[in-house]
Amino acid sequence: MTTPTTQTTQTNPAAPAAAHPNVSAKAESALPTVAKMPSRLPGERPTTGIPFARLTRVELRKQLDTRAGRWLIIAIGLVIATALAINFFTNGGEHSFEDYLSATMLPTAIILPVIGILAVTSEWSQRTGLVTFALEPRRTRVAMAKLVSALLIGIAAFVLAFALAALVHQAAITFRGIEGDWSVGGLVVLGAGLYVLLGLMQGVAFGALFRNTPAAIVVYFVLPTVWGILGGLISWLDTPSMWLDMNRTMQPLFSGSMSGEQWGQLGTSVAVWIVVPLVVGILLLRRAEVK
Amino acid sequence: MITVERLTKRYGPFTAVDDISFEVKPGLVTGFLGPNGAGKTTAMRVMVGLTPATSGTATVLGQPYVALPNPGRHVGVLLDASAQHAGRTGREVLALGAALMGIDKSRVTEMLDVVGLTDKEAGRKVRNYSLGMRQRLGIAHALLGDPEVMILDEPANGLDPAGIRWMRDLLRGFASEGGTVLLSSHLLNEIERVADELIVIGNGAIVAHGTKDELLAGAGTIVRSTDDDALMGALAEGSFVSRRTATGGLQVEAEPLEVGRVAAARGIVLTELRGGDTRGLEEMFLELTSGSAREEVAA
Repeated sequence: MTTPTTQTTQTNPAAPAAAHPNVSAKAESALPTVAKMPSRLPGERPTTGIPFARLTRVELRKQLDTRAGRWLIIAIGLVIATALAINFFTNGGEHSFEDYLSATMLPTAIILPVIGILAVTSEWSQRTGLVTFALEPRRTRVAMAKLVSALLIGIAAFVLAFALAALVHQAAITFRGIEGDWSVGGLVVLGAGLYVLLGLMQGVAFGALFRNTPAAIVVYFVLPTVWGILGGLISWLDTPSMWLDMNRTMQPLFSGSMSGEQWGQLGTSVAVWIVVPLVVGILLLRRAEVK
Repeated sequence: MITVERLTKRYGPFTAVDDISFEVKPGLVTGFLGPNGAGKTTAMRVMVGLTPATSGTATVLGQPYVALPNPGRHVGVLLDASAQHAGRTGREVLALGAALMGIDKSRVTEMLDVVGLTDKEAGRKVRNYSLGMRQRLGIAHALLGDPEVMILDEPANGLDPAGIRWMRDLLRGFASEGGTVLLSSHLLNEIERVADELIVIGNGAIVAHGTKDELLAGAGTIVRSTDDDALMGALAEGSFVSRRTATGGLQVEAEPLEVGRVAAARGIVLTELRGGDTRGLEEMFLELTSGSAREEVAA
């Protein structure tokens, strides 16, 4: 193979439009008049696949580099700030650390799953899947990278929410002279973490199931609520809902004690709402035509 | 090198790609032609693993596309320039691709320069790009990984005449360095100028395949006259084979000089007489696909 000749272009593509009086300065650039061959990349062509860590890093960047991703983070920040401010300024700031914690965790856990949903659905709605799956055709790996990167965002958000709650609780002690109450159960922290991370996993799962943003978001938010309401209204649904309503199966974590049966109930609801949709979603995503 | 063997893709009762086999050789530009809905795009999507085949195989560089390690470093793909996140900047689109392929960020700047997108334009969101700019961004993306094979669906779409010429130079240069190029286009003149080999597809099946010279050789002479029937009869008497073309007029398996002599001898007034090679591809295309042209279908 011969060395490519890198030809210099005769015209500067950036400038020529503005110089001519009849051409608007706003005219867009043009291709150079002489095609410049791209240079060769040094080294051998890769014989190994894309490392999972790199795939995950790119997926992480994709979840945060769009306006939707950024605004979701900003929205969470604003809601957390408001919730913390309310706790700080009402009742003389007299709230326990747990109260501050729930003020930061609740909005995080509710809004963050949308990032998980969009991570998958945007590949179809924005049609970026055409590029994503051409660069990494092993779609299960892409799905796993999306899941892991979404969980990384979840962990970061959890740590930040925890730190913010602690910071504002300390501020209330220092500046408002409240008597601090730092007691917080291990199960409560675990519950808060699971609440955030399970939500994100469910978001990715629903995204993969529907591959359509509005459908996935609506079903994600409406279905558990409807299920919760039905479980409360219809008596014969009460027992199944004790095992299948995640709002109910998560509850004991926050009250600080879990029985064996309650762990079983939590596990069952996680399997039905998260594991099954995730597995089915990834199987569908493997077969789906990328358009 | 791309090898397609007995590839079929059905959507329910509809056969988008019907048992096609061909090889795309390195060092050449291969044009993929066909009317809208003929199955070009579907076939290309199957080649890069975005659409599962119903039966048959497609390999790129000797393996199924999905088995290629880091395929972006081997194959440059541009299937639809509009398939980019509207909210990302052009530079970000390329940066994501470079990051995934594991190549240096400086390559992004180089590719922007190759396709002539200015710094300012590269910083704009793709939603504000014209079709031509998207197409150039897509070409930059396809070139990012320094591929050996390029699979391009309608890459000249939206480019201005200078851009089309640029594309031709680029693809010729790429092929002359040993690269494999498969490009589809409905711009027949463009394909005729750039392609070495042609694959013509209609109704999902291959209707012609060969080098450009082979396929256009049979074009003979195109002639139109005030009385085509009489001319046809006269030609038949001189044992020249002629037939009516899809666009009217006759196609004769003879040199223009011979056809002119026959017409002069009979006093038939000619309105057009030329070698079939000037618009041969278009004639060939319309003839080969006249029976298979159909309304555009979602494929």
